[in-house]
Amino acid sequence: MTEAAPINAVMRALADPTRRALFERVVGAQEITVAELTKGSGVTQGAISQHLKSLKQAGLVAERPEGRNVYYRAAPEGLAPLADWMSHYALFWHDRIANLRTLLKEIDP
Amino acid sequence: MNLAALKSDTQDIVVEANLPHAPEAIWRALTTGELIGRWLQMKPTGFEAVKGKHFTYQTTAAGAWDGVIHCQVLDVVPHQRLVYSWKGGHESITSGYGTLLDTVVTWTLQKIERGTRLHMVHSGFVLPRNEGAYKNMSGGWKKVVPRVGEIAGEQG
Repeated sequence: MTEAAPINAVMRALADPTRRALFERVVGAQEITVAELTKGSGVTQGAISQHLKSLKQAGLVAERPEGRNVYYRAAPEGLAPLADWMSHYALFWHDRIANLRTLLKEIDP
Repeated sequence: MNLAALKSDTQDIVVEANLPHAPEAIWRALTTGELIGRWLQMKPTGFEAVKGKHFTYQTTAAGAWDGVIHCQVLDVVPHQRLVYSWKGGHESITSGYGTLLDTVVTWTLQKIERGTRLHMVHSGFVLPRNEGAYKNMSGGWKKVVPRVGEIAGEQG
């Protein structure tokens, strides 16, 4: 696990209601692109990108570039400064089971 | 992820997934140190899928806690069931990450038509007993995230 961002950075990132809603959508999805997040959000793609940048700086989301797309997912360690163990591990396992799925594709194609 | 489980007052985390692989392949990923290191993103020390075996994971330290998760294999049924304890934290830490943790992780594999149904339960979470800022955060991120907005005063 990586070092958690300071609590203030996490609080600042989540204080904005639009950004918080965006983060909840990223958490709810396994992986999601900016285009998918923009659809039906009522906010421009540029604004979504800015919000994602703030969330990333706070350690709340991680990105994975693939071809022309960048996929975003929730970073389980991000909420560690705020959350109790249960919240921490809920995100942790969500993330790790996604990894397991990817690994299985590779070792058992 | 089973979000319903997080919204209720349960103290277990339940994750279920249908995977297009035979139970044998998934079992290998769950019980081979090298492979565990790749999907769990931390490599176990001393792990063997043998009942009674002790092993550890090194995670991020916090305060007086060295970040070591102490585990012991509690049950093994090859290709079907793997259970281990998951303990960590330190008594001097009273809230959030690093508090005492005494939990159990249970993996169950069930063969289905096109693969395997994987069921994971991480059980035994004790919700914070101390009053204070963390009181309202015990229900998982669904509760934590809106609460942050209140604390931060919605100033954007």
